[in-house]
Amino acid sequence: MAVLEARPGGVHTRQLVIRPANSGWTGVTTHLRDLTGYTDLLFTLSAHRISVRYRQTALGIAWAVLQPLLMMLIFTGVFSVLVRMPSDGLPYALFAYTALLPWNFFATALTNGTSSLVGHTQLITRVYFPREILPLTYVIAAAFDFAIGCIVLIGLMAWYNVAITPHVWQLIPIVLVLTAWSFALAMIFSAAQVRWRDVGMAVPLLVQLWMFASPVIYPLSAVPPTWRSWYLLNPMAGIIASFRDVLLHGRLLDPVPITYSALISASALVGSYLVFKRAEATMADVV
Amino acid sequence: MIDVRFDHVSKVYRIARPDLAKGSRVSKLLNRHVEDFWAVRDVTFEVRRGETIGIVGHNGAGKSTLLKLLSRITVPTNGEIVLTGTVAALIEVGSGFHPELTGRENIFLSGSILGMRRREIAEKLDRIISFSGVGAFIDTPVKRYSSGMYVRLGFAIAAHLEPDILLVDEVLSVGDAAFQVQCHQRLNELRRSGTTMLFVSHDLTSIEQLCDRVILMHQGRLVANGAPHEVVKEYQRMAAAAVPEMPSPLARPDGSGRARIADVEFLDESVVTTRSARTGGAIVCRVIYEVAEPVDDGAIELFFYSRDGRTLYSQCTTALSGGTLRLDPGHGALEFVIPELGLQPGIYSLGALIRHRLSPESLDWFYRASLLFVEPGKTVRGYFYEPHHWRVVADPPEAAAAGLNALHHRRPHV
Repeated sequence: MAVLEARPGGVHTRQLVIRPANSGWTGVTTHLRDLTGYTDLLFTLSAHRISVRYRQTALGIAWAVLQPLLMMLIFTGVFSVLVRMPSDGLPYALFAYTALLPWNFFATALTNGTSSLVGHTQLITRVYFPREILPLTYVIAAAFDFAIGCIVLIGLMAWYNVAITPHVWQLIPIVLVLTAWSFALAMIFSAAQVRWRDVGMAVPLLVQLWMFASPVIYPLSAVPPTWRSWYLLNPMAGIIASFRDVLLHGRLLDPVPITYSALISASALVGSYLVFKRAEATMADVV
Repeated sequence: MIDVRFDHVSKVYRIARPDLAKGSRVSKLLNRHVEDFWAVRDVTFEVRRGETIGIVGHNGAGKSTLLKLLSRITVPTNGEIVLTGTVAALIEVGSGFHPELTGRENIFLSGSILGMRRREIAEKLDRIISFSGVGAFIDTPVKRYSSGMYVRLGFAIAAHLEPDILLVDEVLSVGDAAFQVQCHQRLNELRRSGTTMLFVSHDLTSIEQLCDRVILMHQGRLVANGAPHEVVKEYQRMAAAAVPEMPSPLARPDGSGRARIADVEFLDESVVTTRSARTGGAIVCRVIYEVAEPVDDGAIELFFYSRDGRTLYSQCTTALSGGTLRLDPGHGALEFVIPELGLQPGIYSLGALIRHRLSPESLDWFYRASLLFVEPGKTVRGYFYEPHHWRVVADPPEAAAAGLNALHHRRPHV
């Protein structure tokens, strides 16, 4: 049997075997190869997510900038003027904004990603495509807002005379860990919401609680050293603290917090992908 | 070359039945009573490259589940499906539209959801737009579209897929008559180009016309697989058997046994018994009766029922020329001749009643006993077909002619 047969239009035919869902590693390579066949869908869907978000709003794309800026102003008002919150000697506005960027990335990706499957019931019951594309497009859309926010951050740093040091390249692994963690959670939560709609109710609360468990409004140094290793089990702690360190202190990365985050995120990504693909087999039946 | 192979495929849906759960409210939440529903059970068949296969069966027989398994929307519980080539479903994808995006943007979005490459969509864009007929509004957000435009655009995208294996699930009811013709043409085009097709439809005429082979599903099992005509007949026989016997309180009311209706059967144009007719076509309903004691002034009444048992109309022999119907002992038959059938495609049942012309009490009532399958013939929109013909008026009435003349006189010279 011809396995790869060229057809007019560049479509390749190959055999596809559909079997009952199996758990474990065996299917992972097939799943990943399947996903690469849908890069066009991923690109188109993400681009539309971004363009649709600000359509028919008077301020348009400015919202991507305004949202973290307004949150920064509120936090600065509360935690710098009303309450004195330590900020490692940095201007509190800059201190808060720098943490809000990765935090908002995570929070939007998780909130929107969680409802991505349930929000596309019509598609899921009518067309096949690798379902992880749906939460992934929301992660990409959140990454886009994050990128816009970073441009504003450069402006803020110039305003407060904080120099960008050569250590800035270290942001790349941090952002990768942040993306992996956000995607891992968006996958597992969205798959759970297909079965239990309770998840949709719980996530907004969880996100609020989670922010206080992460060094967004306070520095990592405010956490007592005895609690530190427990505290760092929250990957967002390592990510946000490292992000701030590299940008605002221009320091070489403290390897401990980010290693915690990277290890947890990587295993979460693998585990959540396996669970997700397992759940995918019956998603259309349950949703 | 085999494009599709189903090898002992089953699909079980687990259906929660909270009403059957035992115990307290809390334990009900945890121990849900679950029932298995076999939507598809041990199905095996093959489809060769370029073949067109029809799938027929009652609602819930497992037809759509077969297509869902094929298109990978859901995964089988047992067995294996082997596909050689790309698969796409011809579905109306309007549900995948984003209301804020324009028609053009939605073509790209839906196209890629259906598995098309961006470049491929760009190449076909003009054809898709002209197929959909929404040309002038293509750069308007689709939330401003009428529902008809929405459906046509959604379908136009799917119709331009070029998979090796195409799944068609009851879509040909989409849009108006002109659009349906367009869709049929597109399907024929794909079929000629060698696309393997699987059709699910209740439109038996289309199935018979389009398909090389037909599969009959019943309660999740494949019960017949063969020549379209044979399998469709088998399906109609099954459908007839599935209509529940409705015990009528009026059935055999008299009990005198003086006369009874033996059967109601149908004859086509070539006087062969049949079960099916076409809208706008000729059909004869023959009522066969037996008479034990003569009835001088008898009447026979014929009833047409919809599938849900409503009386659509009835006709009585009292309208016969001459007025009286003599029922002599022995067998007899009466024919109700319909030159052009007004019923829309569907399944109908007929009943007949025999009585004295002047008495409302019936001697026998043959209640909803014979099924008539009406297939599409003369395409009509609305509730029924009206036998008719059009006539051109050769000599228009004088008043109208005078009006026209007056117009001519007023018109300046050219």
